[in-house]
Amino acid sequence: MKRELRDHEGRLAAVMLLPVVLYIVLLVGFPFLMAFAYSLSNVTVGSPDFRIVGLGNFLAIFADQAFRTALFNTFVFTFCSITVVVVFGHILAELLRQEFRGKWLVRFLLLLPWTTPIALGTIGFLWYFDSLYSPIDWFLRQTGFLGHHDAPLGPRSNLYWLGRPGLAMFAVITVHIWRLLPLAAMIMLAGMNGIPKEIVESARVDGAGYFRRLFEIVLPLLFPVVAVTILFATFFTFTDMTVVWILTKGGPPPNATQVLASLAFLNGIEGGDLAKGAATAIFFFPVLAGLAALVLRLVKKAVVI
Amino acid sequence: MARTISRRRFMRNTAIGAVGLTFGPGLLRSWAQEPKTLKLLQWSHFVPSYDTWFNQYCQSWGARNNVKVIVDRISLSDLKSTFAAEVVAGKGHDLVEFISPPSDFEPSVLDLTDVNQEARKRFGEQVAVATKSSYNPFTKKFYGFCHGWTIDPGNYRKSLWEKAGMPEGPRSWDDLLTNGARILKEQGVQAGIGLSQELDSNMAGRGLLWSFDTSIQDAQENVVLDNPKTVEAVKYMADLYRQALTPEVFSWNPASNNQLLLAGRASYILNSISAYRSAQQDVPEIAKDVFFTPALKGPRGTAWVSEHVIYVSVVPKFAREPELAKQFLLDLCANYDQAMWASKLYNTPAYFQTKIPGGDRGYTGLADAKTLRDQFGAWFGNDPFALPGETAGKLKPLQNAEQWSTNVGHPGPANPAIGEIFGTFVIPNMFATVAQGRQSAEDSVKDAATQCRRIFAKWRELKLVVGKG
Repeated sequence: MKRELRDHEGRLAAVMLLPVVLYIVLLVGFPFLMAFAYSLSNVTVGSPDFRIVGLGNFLAIFADQAFRTALFNTFVFTFCSITVVVVFGHILAELLRQEFRGKWLVRFLLLLPWTTPIALGTIGFLWYFDSLYSPIDWFLRQTGFLGHHDAPLGPRSNLYWLGRPGLAMFAVITVHIWRLLPLAAMIMLAGMNGIPKEIVESARVDGAGYFRRLFEIVLPLLFPVVAVTILFATFFTFTDMTVVWILTKGGPPPNATQVLASLAFLNGIEGGDLAKGAATAIFFFPVLAGLAALVLRLVKKAVVI
Repeated sequence: MARTISRRRFMRNTAIGAVGLTFGPGLLRSWAQEPKTLKLLQWSHFVPSYDTWFNQYCQSWGARNNVKVIVDRISLSDLKSTFAAEVVAGKGHDLVEFISPPSDFEPSVLDLTDVNQEARKRFGEQVAVATKSSYNPFTKKFYGFCHGWTIDPGNYRKSLWEKAGMPEGPRSWDDLLTNGARILKEQGVQAGIGLSQELDSNMAGRGLLWSFDTSIQDAQENVVLDNPKTVEAVKYMADLYRQALTPEVFSWNPASNNQLLLAGRASYILNSISAYRSAQQDVPEIAKDVFFTPALKGPRGTAWVSEHVIYVSVVPKFAREPELAKQFLLDLCANYDQAMWASKLYNTPAYFQTKIPGGDRGYTGLADAKTLRDQFGAWFGNDPFALPGETAGKLKPLQNAEQWSTNVGHPGPANPAIGEIFGTFVIPNMFATVAQGRQSAEDSVKDAATQCRRIFAKWRELKLVVGKG
């Protein structure tokens, strides 16, 4: 009797995986290989012709103060964003597990930032941090914190959020947290809902308080979910340039909020040095790949345990 | 051996022949008459009425020449990346317009020497700022064609400067420092000169350097930035920031000039007339108080500003209709009186000797204006867009703008190294780090010069830039 494809599980799996494999090869693999080749070349934005120059671009970016600043900023940006996102994501998830009136509305509002296109949301924040028309500054002026000689935040009428290095970095991190928090909260909520209630209840009956239950039961069981959240959020943060580019373009000068992704665009497209841009962009690929492997391994181990 | 043919094959060939004879001539005729397509990539103009006129002009030009003209308009910030993608793909538009010299695309675009020569024959000499922004003297190639540019004067609030004892506004950078500081202190209104990673800050920084008798490169394309005059200019800017500006200049963007002027919070800005035009529309009382100054003089009397916008079009090597694109550019120059009018005098022609075509030109005609030079002089002498009751002759200080306006590579050409320095904001960063007190002027200039030399060396290796240092 003639056997059909559906009778061969191995072949069927291969056929069904083929579109995904093709997608990854064509839309991820090929551009990645191109970026890798570019980073070892002298290609410019004005001509697709190039020759291989070895590791010259990597040596050049190491010598560049802007690159070192962007590298440092990327870590600060990522660390601060992830820390706040994980802590607040957990708190939000805890709150959303409780029953209260209007819960659906809170959930809906919480998800809004995630559904809004990031560029659009960031443009909205530009108004909040505007040098002239910032409503935050207006509020501070109205409440006496800003805009007169004895004001605790200074006599000037505005704080100039995006014109001062510390405030600009704060603004960039705030917008990123606003964007990532819903995702983190939802992933954690799903993880919390997966924890068997009997275990938590037994601990409660045995006299374990809230924090003991949190640190000895909930968080260990939640570890795989938290780890994946951190992994996702780290990748999103490390590779994102939209927030920085729209809010500050890497400024205030010289590079107070410049991150690797925005610097790669600045060098590669605006500056015309595609090779240097590619070297900057793929610099962190090995680190991110290693991090991904490590986290996934830990998650697997935790699940097995 | 005799060839045989089957009945079926005979019938098929006969049918094909009959269909061919019946419809062939008609199809050929329609193919021959099929209009060609010219695809343009444009940026969204700062004066929306220009885009409206340009669209209409393209359609009427297309109708006259049996060409289907497609205008794709994208935001300015996407222009370079879009064209870069087209270059890699080897496919895209026939004509692409930039607003800063696209010298780094030279290897991928056609040499437009022929169009430039033909334009010179038809319209006379091109203004120097246009030629220097589209010609590479090292490769002797016109990588672009420049049809126009925009003047970058100082815009000042007369009422504020009157109180400071200078009703005619600042004439020198020293005036700006002394009286700009006084206006901030006594009247609470700051000046607005960008010190950020954006276009206007790039222009302002270059204007200051040139007026202080220094520059990034010399006429032979050698880096000459690290010299005592640059240090002097950087120290001046730091003083200006401390005394007459606010930290918002570090977050300056292309809309900041307009925003600050319209809010009544700028005593002086360095910008095209577009901020003033916006004020005419939205805040007439501010517009009536805005007046203009030419380039400010430096400590030794030199006065330069950068063009505010330079309209350079390129024809990519992959263009399917390069000859049509060239024809379009020449015809656009011939109709530049309309371009000036539609842009509310934002666009200034690259060919002042162009004769004005007869007939209805769509604007209030000036009977004795024979060339664009006449038209320019008349319009800038008596602004046709002035509000009722507005002081006459406000734009007169701009009539000789070509004498104090220059290209971004001054005194050399706008080569790819200058383009990369422009694109990566080396000059605004040099000024800003000192203004913020992060570095000494000497160290900042030294660092900037090192970056410039590295960039020049790379483009020299690619044989697109001359010079040694």
